[in-house]
Amino acid sequence: MRRYTVHGAVWIGVYLLFILAPLFALLTGSLPDARGFWTEFSVAIGYSGLAMMGLQFGLTARFRYVTDPWGEDVIYHFHRQISLIAVGLVVAHPLIMFAAQPQLLVLPEGADVPLGAVAAVVSIGALITLVVTALWRAELKIRYETWHLSHIVLAVVAVTGGLVHMVGWGFYLADPWKRAVWIGLTIFWIGLLLYVRFVKPLFVLRRPYRVAEVRRERGNSSTLVMKPEGHAGFRFRPGQFGWLALWGSPFRITGHPFSFSSSAEAADGRVEMTIRNLGDFTSTIASVPVGQRIYLDGPYGAFTIGNPADMHVLIAGGVGVTPMMSMLRTLADRGDARPVILFYGSKDWDAITFREELELLEARLKLTVVHVLANPPAPWAGEQGYIDAELFKRHLPPPYADHEYFICGPGPMMDSIEQALRELGVPMSKYHSERYRFV
Amino acid sequence: MRRLFADRLVLATGAVVILMSLLFAASRVLG
Repeated sequence: MRRYTVHGAVWIGVYLLFILAPLFALLTGSLPDARGFWTEFSVAIGYSGLAMMGLQFGLTARFRYVTDPWGEDVIYHFHRQISLIAVGLVVAHPLIMFAAQPQLLVLPEGADVPLGAVAAVVSIGALITLVVTALWRAELKIRYETWHLSHIVLAVVAVTGGLVHMVGWGFYLADPWKRAVWIGLTIFWIGLLLYVRFVKPLFVLRRPYRVAEVRRERGNSSTLVMKPEGHAGFRFRPGQFGWLALWGSPFRITGHPFSFSSSAEAADGRVEMTIRNLGDFTSTIASVPVGQRIYLDGPYGAFTIGNPADMHVLIAGGVGVTPMMSMLRTLADRGDARPVILFYGSKDWDAITFREELELLEARLKLTVVHVLANPPAPWAGEQGYIDAELFKRHLPPPYADHEYFICGPGPMMDSIEQALRELGVPMSKYHSERYRFV
Repeated sequence: MRRLFADRLVLATGAVVILMSLLFAASRVLG
């Protein structure tokens, strides 16, 4: 944990350095005469905002070294939230500039609109469209695949437009080396995109998998059993996930992240993913033919079992049980003797994915499964309703802060469980969470 | 909780960038 904290702090430092160093580099070398304070401030936030937008490509470039201390879902959350700040800065740049110098709004008679101004309008237009479609994709009824492609195109247009605006205006970029720094940075940002879209898929392409079996599971879910073809596969830690490219090649824009549900100790490189039919891409899983060639990019994620002092507490909602199954199967294969408790929220008794196997695992591990049903059958002596602090108090031995907690489920459930753990005095370092719909 | 931490990090990053931009402008005008 301490290693991750240090690691994370280093990355925040690097992140700020990548935003601020190119900005303050503008103050070196030859400098034009300063304009008013607010004009200069508006320029600074414009440059910073663009640098932040460029770094967005880095946040989603799937560098394990970057994502491991935080977990992929937190990185994507940061990517989303910081984009609002970045877009705010970029949009505020012309507003403050025009408020400070309203004469800039008037084009001299007969003059053409400068290329720098056109580029600025295109860049800001692309940025606003990008944020609106990202925030309200579902409300706008945009298909995930369509949105993903448009997101990438709009991001490239926005960043390139910003660069053309800066170079076209040329106020601070008169020195060739300063131009080179900003052009180089833009090439670097777009290079990150090319890396994740072209270079990485090349590696994935050379390591294909075949579907060995498609198993129907309870809860409208199916398990894909995949075997490496012509290579040894990869080692993953239980709880991690991979990006699945099921139809087509790994060069397709849209991959889908799913947790591995199989044991990390499987000897032949075989991996399994258990996927619930949610009506979108996931509805095709049950009909995948055996023998189909597929591609897996992974493993990723920091949501993985550690070495708790006393016991693992696993908390799953619905199909959020899949990483927990990987953990339990792995612990059983390793002959782990530490106690494990699984709190498992499901709609009803028949919808409990892996219900029968969990009973078998209770015999192989020191495992207790606490089913929490929204619609329990009659009669039902078990838990029902929601997983909350009172439920934990009924089943967990104190002190609660000694256990290590793993939570995976839908967003609202995760929020309420994190709140319940805070009420029980469990420090953040003792629990780990993964939101399975983070993209 | 980690998301809460990430949210705070976002706000802190925004604040640092705005402060540094103010510093940039001040150094131009005063320097």
